[in-house]
Amino acid sequence: MTLKTTLNRRRFLGTTAAAAGLTLATPAILRADDDFPSRNISVYIPTAEGGGADRNFRAFASVWKDKLGTDFEPGFYPGASGRVGYELYMGKAEPDAYNLIFGNMGPEVLNWAMQAPSFNIDDYLYFGRVDTDPGALFVGAESPLQSLDQIIETAKTRPLNVGTSRMAHPASIGVLSLGEATGAEFNLIPLGGGKNTVAGAVTGEVDFSVLTSGTVISAGDAVKTLLVFGENRVGAALDDAPSMNDAFGTDLPEMLSSRAFGIHQRAVDDYPERFETLTSTFAETFEDPALLESYIAARGTPEYLNYGGVDDCAAFKAAMLELGERYKPLLTGA
Amino acid sequence: MGDTAALLATAFTDTLGYWWIIIPTIFLGLIVGGIPGFSAANTIIILLPLTLAMELQTGLVFMVTLYCAARMGAGIPAILVNIPGTAGAAATPLDGYPMTKQGRGQQALAMSFVASSIGGLLTTLVALAAMPLLARVGFYMHSVEMVVVMLFGISLIASIAAQDMLKGLIAGFFGLMIGAIGTDVVYATPRGTFGFLELYDGVPLIPALVGLFAVSEAFIIIEKRVILTAKGEAAMRNPTWHATFEGISIALKRWWHIIWTSMIGLVIGVIPGAGAAIASFVAYQQSRTYSKTPELYGTGHAEGLIAPEAANNGVTSGTLVPLLVLGIPGGATAAIMLVVLQFQGVSFGPSLFMSNPEVGYGMFMAMAVAYLLMFLTILPLSRYMCRVTTVPTIYLAPIIISFTLVGAFVPREYMFDMQLALAFGVLGYLARRTGYHVAAILIGVILGPLLETYFMRALQKSNGDIMTLFSSTLGNILWLCLVASLILPAFLEWRRKTKTEAAA
Repeated sequence: MTLKTTLNRRRFLGTTAAAAGLTLATPAILRADDDFPSRNISVYIPTAEGGGADRNFRAFASVWKDKLGTDFEPGFYPGASGRVGYELYMGKAEPDAYNLIFGNMGPEVLNWAMQAPSFNIDDYLYFGRVDTDPGALFVGAESPLQSLDQIIETAKTRPLNVGTSRMAHPASIGVLSLGEATGAEFNLIPLGGGKNTVAGAVTGEVDFSVLTSGTVISAGDAVKTLLVFGENRVGAALDDAPSMNDAFGTDLPEMLSSRAFGIHQRAVDDYPERFETLTSTFAETFEDPALLESYIAARGTPEYLNYGGVDDCAAFKAAMLELGERYKPLLTGA
Repeated sequence: MGDTAALLATAFTDTLGYWWIIIPTIFLGLIVGGIPGFSAANTIIILLPLTLAMELQTGLVFMVTLYCAARMGAGIPAILVNIPGTAGAAATPLDGYPMTKQGRGQQALAMSFVASSIGGLLTTLVALAAMPLLARVGFYMHSVEMVVVMLFGISLIASIAAQDMLKGLIAGFFGLMIGAIGTDVVYATPRGTFGFLELYDGVPLIPALVGLFAVSEAFIIIEKRVILTAKGEAAMRNPTWHATFEGISIALKRWWHIIWTSMIGLVIGVIPGAGAAIASFVAYQQSRTYSKTPELYGTGHAEGLIAPEAANNGVTSGTLVPLLVLGIPGGATAAIMLVVLQFQGVSFGPSLFMSNPEVGYGMFMAMAVAYLLMFLTILPLSRYMCRVTTVPTIYLAPIIISFTLVGAFVPREYMFDMQLALAFGVLGYLARRTGYHVAAILIGVILGPLLETYFMRALQKSNGDIMTLFSSTLGNILWLCLVASLILPAFLEWRRKTKTEAAA
């Protein structure tokens, strides 16, 4: 028996359609190339261009790109305390390890505790912590309140207005913990961003402010730092202010902002080799002295550089969610 | 004193030596200021690698010149084709564009350049002389006082609505409602976002601005051959130097108007977080209130153009004061300058004039020189710029729509913003066709969120006590001024009528 196959138009179109369908239906993983990364990596940044995250990202990426062998393309998606950037990343970016997010695990994770996002928060994970920056309490240079004792004493007689970048911020929780520890009363006033929070304290709009200490340092001698919600790693740059635990004998965790790279959980599951490449080169970046130079050149605070891997980030994320749940009534006015 | 004068003289002559960077930057600034969505701030960011590579003084001169030129440039399309390049120029077309339609675009441009240059130069010198004093303004203008300042701007809705109060107020309240879209300022709870993520941060200003003004204007002008009246077209076909000198002369005759409206800009500029949009609306409102001919505002009246232009350039000098004296940037561009100069090792704050006096004085001198050179370089161009108005609308309307849609996209790079600009364009078109004033809508969109921010902050600080709005002396003085500025026009009108009747 001889099978004779002729390729007529109907068969050609049918075969082509079947092949195309099969190709499209094939899981992306089977079409994966092994030479990751073969193109630039897109990074979603949920804050505005030109801000602290931008500077931090550029300083880190300038060294990491050489380890990874490709360049990074940042995209800035600010809005609603970082929510816009995360929603876009989770909703629109392909989960193929070529799309990362560079966020702040402190305030941005706290946000999820206040208002759940449209996606499952376990659908992404942070895999590379770049820095940890403790919150700080500071007054304007001309403020009548020039010491911590004065603040506590006054706040026991009347509630003091405290400027904060946004309600759901580790530094806000820091000042609420201070109130719990001392019996002082504080009234949080969100001033919308670090610049306005510094301005609020300097001009007397509020009695004092709390903020990520990196931003407080850059405010220079217009402000005076009185307390750090964590370890003071920079000494005189924060006016040698004591840590909260040292000053009041508390046993609180550090109230940190912490910038980190995140990725879709699905990308980790579907492309384990790519994820391994990302995490290993990320770790190598920290061993390169060029990173420190890059940070100093960008006027960053190199003392805050603090490597953290997947487990460190997961622990941080969980701790922030727990803190958020605990302080939710105070931070949401519920 | 002698040392300071010597420092200033040196800074001035040194800055003049940078003419080779100032002049090209003026043209760059005029272009980026004129294109909606672009601004000095995002241009400095785009050119960050270049700016950071420049030596300190060159970078300083470049940034300051770009800042001033972009502010002045924003008024050009606002006057010629009803497209405010930035929110700070939103009040400019109210009288600038009617002048253009009457064929007086060249005069309008010349008036705008004179008002901007003199306003900018004068406020630079005042800021320099009274810096320590001006820096204190921020110490007294807190949320309570700012609520009243916002109400000055918002009360302009009532002035605009004078011809048809009901429609004007409806448009204003509609704008305020649009301004309330987005997450609330305290707890970040989304309101009226219709599920659009892109609206979580509120309605973006540039798409609203270009949509309401420019896109709707493009829909309107397409029904005509050219945007000019027949008489205006004849004048524009053969522009002469005479028209430029006439514009200069009209502006110079109103020197006092330029001075006091630019001072409004300076004072608002030194308040951290306020800005050019507030200043230009407040200046326009005040100018109209104390005018002998308030009924001419909105019809192509010289004072109505001079006031916002002088004020928004006054803001430019004002924003430098808190930056230099307190280390607090007064606006977005000043914030970017802070980042760049910190990268160069400059520490801002009270000690700046001791540690880096050349930077402190240099910034003001760069501004003064930039305004001087800008005046000389741009003024002759008004004769040629105004020719754009003679382009037939079949070409002009698509160009306007294309430019504005790109402008709507640029600040956030969302396709959504282009769609939003078109939606606002349709809304603006319907409003114009049915006699609702788009400027009243826009004032609500721009000032509504700011009013809410300051109002909520004042209430939060006082644990919800509404009487806090009358708790400060300065605030109460401002309240009295506000009431006076609302009552005064009606009183003056009544007195005029009484006099006329008595004379008859």
